[in-house]
Amino acid sequence: MVVKGKLKMALVAEKDVDFKKLNLKKKEKAARKKKAQKGGDKDKPESNGKVEEAWVDVEGGAEDSGSDEDEGETETAPMQIDFEGIDESDSDSSAGENDQDNDLEDDEDDEDIPVSDLEDLDDEEKEDMIPHQRLTINNTVALTAALKRIALPTSKLPFSEHQSIMTSAPVVIEDVSDDLNRELAFYAQSLSAAQEGRKLLKAEGVAFTRPTDYFAEMVKADEHMAKIKAKLIDEAASKKASSEARKQRDLKKFGKQVQVAKLQERDKERSKTMEKIKDLKRKRQGADTETTNEADIFDVALEDETAKPSRKDRIGPNKRAKKDEKFGFGGKKRFKKSGDAMSSGDLTGFSSKKMKGVKPSRPGKARRASKK
Amino acid sequence: MSAYKALSKSNGDKQEAPNGIKKNKQRVLILSSRGITYRHRHLLNDLASLLPHSRKDAKLDTKSKLYQLNELAELYNCNNVFFFEARKGKDLYLWMSKAPNGPTVKMHMQNLHTMEELHFTGNCLKGSRPLLSFDASFDKEPHLRVLKELFMHIFGVPKGARKAKPFVDHVMGFTLADGKIWIRNYQISETEPSKVSTSSDGTDAKPKVKKNADGKETEISLVEIGPRFVLTPIVIQEGSFGGPIIYENKEFVSPNQVRSEIRTKKAGRYNQRAEQGVERLAKRGELGLRTNGGRKAKVDELDTGTLFA
Repeated sequence: MVVKGKLKMALVAEKDVDFKKLNLKKKEKAARKKKAQKGGDKDKPESNGKVEEAWVDVEGGAEDSGSDEDEGETETAPMQIDFEGIDESDSDSSAGENDQDNDLEDDEDDEDIPVSDLEDLDDEEKEDMIPHQRLTINNTVALTAALKRIALPTSKLPFSEHQSIMTSAPVVIEDVSDDLNRELAFYAQSLSAAQEGRKLLKAEGVAFTRPTDYFAEMVKADEHMAKIKAKLIDEAASKKASSEARKQRDLKKFGKQVQVAKLQERDKERSKTMEKIKDLKRKRQGADTETTNEADIFDVALEDETAKPSRKDRIGPNKRAKKDEKFGFGGKKRFKKSGDAMSSGDLTGFSSKKMKGVKPSRPGKARRASKK
Repeated sequence: MSAYKALSKSNGDKQEAPNGIKKNKQRVLILSSRGITYRHRHLLNDLASLLPHSRKDAKLDTKSKLYQLNELAELYNCNNVFFFEARKGKDLYLWMSKAPNGPTVKMHMQNLHTMEELHFTGNCLKGSRPLLSFDASFDKEPHLRVLKELFMHIFGVPKGARKAKPFVDHVMGFTLADGKIWIRNYQISETEPSKVSTSSDGTDAKPKVKKNADGKETEISLVEIGPRFVLTPIVIQEGSFGGPIIYENKEFVSPNQVRSEIRTKKAGRYNQRAEQGVERLAKRGELGLRTNGGRKAKVDELDTGTLFA
């Protein structure tokens, strides 16, 4: 029995059977044994010594406990016995047979145990575990063979047969999520290919450029192209409209000031012409031609410099303009006084002191006393 | 004569022309599985319109018995199969195969945009032969070289294709970036160089001046046509829809996994919050701050209750 156990251990070491499974099984068995003992089976303790080493034998003993848990065990048992049979019968088995064994072992391994179930294992047991990982398959030999089978002899064929061009240097794209630069790299790659391809095709005498009078079915039908065109026009129109609207908004902001300035200018002009007319009238009367100089007649701006500032030209608070600004003069009156983002953000008029109200100052003690 | 025809027909891929040079002869069977969305269908139509050497077939009924495609390809005299497999009505997988005896490539298709939804102004002749532009990184690894060869066979229109048109007016770009293959399709537009060199419209066109054969200079610029898509190679099989797997992309994460991770992350947020609540209760109980449950606070000697009891 002991010999068998040693043999088994050697085998196990050779095949590196996963210990966790064995351990789990052992634990299960121990639990079952306890059960059996509680049941009052006195025969069991004799075989206990053997149980630790040769677990296959125990199963025979354990089976007569007759519990349902055994079913899973009995299914696997014959297979394991088979292993032993094979390995013991010819201990110096050939490599081919070993391979077979390993295959069987793999089959067993396929029913993986989730890692979460193994957390309660000891540390030393955990060391033996190998977490399952997807293997990289990259069979270079098979790949090259497959390539060789299907490859076109591009070096022997004329270029016009395959029309494929490799870039001289690999295209490097630093950040694939940077749309603009990525597309630019693709574009540059294709452009260089187009140029090189044209050269090669021209050299081989193959028609490259489509003549303008060659009409044929296109990939995109006419209605599709019309749709694209409509979309482009639509886009341009909306862009233009939005810019126009923005301009209008800006104008509206300054419109008031512009209007006021214009009116003032007009007023000034009117008064100036009136003055000139008056002067002319006086001249006609021939009363004082000397007072007006020749320049005035010829409308020279000299007068503006010399003339003393009139009432209208006076710089100072323009009451009318202010009032116009306040109450409105021309244009829409609606929503003029309504607040907007600008006005509500304006905190110049805000004062916490004012908000609290002005407290009347407390009179002195004597005065207070006298009031009483 | 008929014997020669029969011979040449059976020998699909490369045909021995009378002068001894092998000819590039390709035919592609294009079809999809059931359960593709309208976008997948439109993309398939776009690609079929770009490939005059293709034969479109009805949707394949089965998703498990893909080897049936080999028989279909034989039926239609095709030596390439281009198969869209849709899963869950949202994920699209692209199979490309050399029909009778492989290899087969399975790829995951992402970021697909059909011609219709892209609104690009480019256009090209239906059935003109494209220039194929490959990134140099395609030559680096054997599996990429296999991929390149397959792209060349399927997307390159062979010279003698029946419906092919004579001029070359578009270029297809295959670029490798981030472990994925990005595919773009551009129109080659040649314009007479304008007198003012700065008049180039700066949207997509970068003019390059080149000497023409007859001394005239024409500028080549590209205008994108569409469609656009990105492929992630998953698996390469040795046979056609069968045989051993000779390459597997370890970096590929299936979209199912991505979705489930997002879901568990969302669920995790709630779990974390619930756990925090329980922890907080326990902590407060430990400090004797709860009215019922937990540990009672130690009675202090100086408490008013004990002092004036």
